[in-house]
Amino acid sequence: MLREHILIARSALLVAALAAASLASAAGTEIKTHKVETGKAAIEHVDVTQAMLNASDKQDKNWLQTNGGYSQTRFYPGKQINAGNVKRLKPAFVFQTEVTESMETAPIVVNGVMYFTTSYDHVYAIDAKTGKQFWHYKHKMGPITTFCCGPNNRGVAIAGDKLFLGTLDAKLVALNAKTGEVVWETQIADPEKGYSETMAPTVVDNKVLIGTNGGEYGIRGFVKAYDTNDGKLLWTFHTIPETGQEGVWATKDATGRDMHRDIAAEKEALAKNGGDFYKILGGGVWMNPSVDLKTRTIYFVVGNPSPDLYGAIRPGDNLYTDSIVAVDLDKGTYKWHFQYISHDVWDLDAVSATILVDAKDKSGKMVPAVIHGGKTGHVYVHERANGKLIRFSQAMIPQENMWTLPTADGARMLPGANGGVEWSPMAFDPQTRLVYALNLHQPMTYQVADAAYPGGKLWLGGAFKTIASEKQWGRLAAVSVDTGKVVWKHDTEQPLIGGALATAGGLVFFGEGNGDFDALDAKSGKKLWSFNCGAGANAMPVSYMVGGKQYVAMGCGGNTQLDYKRGNSMFVFSLE
Amino acid sequence: MRRGSLRILCALLLAFATRAALAQDVDAGRKKAEACAACHGPNGNSTQPQIPFLAGQNFRYLYFQLRDFKEGRRKHPETDPLVAVLSKQDMWDLAAYFAAQTPVLTQFRPDPEKAKKGEAKAEEVLCTMCHLGGFKGQNEIPRVAGQHYEYIVKQLHDFRAQRRTNDAGNMTSVARTLSDADIDDLAQYIAGLQ
Repeated sequence: MLREHILIARSALLVAALAAASLASAAGTEIKTHKVETGKAAIEHVDVTQAMLNASDKQDKNWLQTNGGYSQTRFYPGKQINAGNVKRLKPAFVFQTEVTESMETAPIVVNGVMYFTTSYDHVYAIDAKTGKQFWHYKHKMGPITTFCCGPNNRGVAIAGDKLFLGTLDAKLVALNAKTGEVVWETQIADPEKGYSETMAPTVVDNKVLIGTNGGEYGIRGFVKAYDTNDGKLLWTFHTIPETGQEGVWATKDATGRDMHRDIAAEKEALAKNGGDFYKILGGGVWMNPSVDLKTRTIYFVVGNPSPDLYGAIRPGDNLYTDSIVAVDLDKGTYKWHFQYISHDVWDLDAVSATILVDAKDKSGKMVPAVIHGGKTGHVYVHERANGKLIRFSQAMIPQENMWTLPTADGARMLPGANGGVEWSPMAFDPQTRLVYALNLHQPMTYQVADAAYPGGKLWLGGAFKTIASEKQWGRLAAVSVDTGKVVWKHDTEQPLIGGALATAGGLVFFGEGNGDFDALDAKSGKKLWSFNCGAGANAMPVSYMVGGKQYVAMGCGGNTQLDYKRGNSMFVFSLE
Repeated sequence: MRRGSLRILCALLLAFATRAALAQDVDAGRKKAEACAACHGPNGNSTQPQIPFLAGQNFRYLYFQLRDFKEGRRKHPETDPLVAVLSKQDMWDLAAYFAAQTPVLTQFRPDPEKAKKGEAKAEEVLCTMCHLGGFKGQNEIPRVAGQHYEYIVKQLHDFRAQRRTNDAGNMTSVARTLSDADIDDLAQYIAGLQ
């Protein structure tokens, strides 16, 4: 999915409509008119240059991009907080927002000012050292919003003196970073047709890049580029081509396992009914692309086909769903793709953000690579130049009965539809050469039902059902990008969702649904520190420096999709 | 007689449809809703048991159903021609108007035995996961508490027979498992939730 992911309800027969449930309880935070509240203090000057953005992941003062930089390693090069002293980490301040609902944001920090978002597209600007509020932007929400898995937002992007925000009603909004006032606003797509935005945009060379949610609603996915100055559309890459979605009629997945497709029946259906369904075939993109400035290429993964579980009405490989895709940064034109699962009927799609690393190829030579952590539970390592799969990792979590086709009564298969690795961005540590991946273990049955396109309403074509008698748990797995081996693993009592952060201090930070925010030793996986935030720690942690002191920040608002305890707070830690 | 008045009402609706408005507007919806009253009753409080009350229904459900009628995913001979002429703004306004009305209690008195069985069946098939406790609905999921018994029975039969298919497969899947007696019990229970 799209992300999107699917809202999975424990012991639920029909998950579909629940998705919207979260809205009802927090409807008071949906704002009908734009509103900015300002504090007494003012932000004096903001100017984030392209040179600063290019070097985001090579400096330890600011956290300028959702995933650390264009490489998306989520690796912080500072080591004031390290394996030796992390036990002294204490809260520096806690900032309470007015929105108590799922938090998935990654704060952006520039010269001591922190910008972060909450559910329902609120944006806060606060002092990154003291927690004092500068301003608070509340987005005016349109009457119809459609989103499957909570009213989430994963943060803003920054460039120059502007912030960029994608919204649940499928708008792209540019804000004045000093004041929170709207500079421009543009409609990306029609929310009534299932389009919505939860991802943070990515900004590069005056282009704002943004995809779309909606794989559960029969959208036609895309990545679009807008001009930072005026919001004018520069290019669109459709993740579903007008012709050729049928691909090569692949019978095996990326790891060589048979997917039990009835190719003859699919071909007959395509010949008989035609291929007009490309317009509603899904393929959302809702996590940031990585950007290779040398080759002017962006790399992103594309989510599931629509409807999720019912494949009979969409014969073919359903390109470029469940794929990693490389696109020209300046023109938005296709470069290459690699599909992990053709004609997916399990929603085991590609979601977690891509990461640019150098990795050993099969002959042992270091080559530019791009990696992705899949809901299948594998980390895939590709040659960056052509997408060729160098290797896939050992399974990080149990896999059983792959690929059993969904049935009317429900067929059990592992992993469950949330993964493996959900949207949770991994972190890569160049010192250990390990990538750290948050995994879920949620045994499920996959149930199919024929369902006509419902016109922009939630469209699963069946149901995902967790198995009440089977235990669920989580696992942070450390995987060598050079060998594909799982070097160590750290298990948790609940399935994991949220971001990982690796630091030069030899630490890996991540959060749990029970509220624990943890630091592990990056080499061994040993737990060195933990703090309970009182609500699910399921956002994306970041680190930065103000006045010579290192801080670590984590949003703790729980998670709608997994129904982890909701909260409203940004926790910021430093050494006492 | 009915057809003639429908035509006049359609013309009226067309006239309203040309007025520009920005957000969903309850007052504008009140005027546009005059055409609906013939069947759905005053303020959307239907007195005809086979026709649903709309008063107090959820805004998003009402809007999505209007849009489905307009785009052919749901069909009804009386409703179709009225909705065909509506703009998006009209449908927003109508949905906002009916959502803002207060439902009037029906005179329905459920058979206690059947209602009890209906409650158990509702628990078994997890109705309230989507319709919420007390069947008050949310977002695009309708409020069905206190809805007309006859209307509930007809909808469940229509979902089961796939005569109504604008539900993305949720209700058609659930209804597949229901017997005629189950449907009667459920309708007794739900219609009695006043």
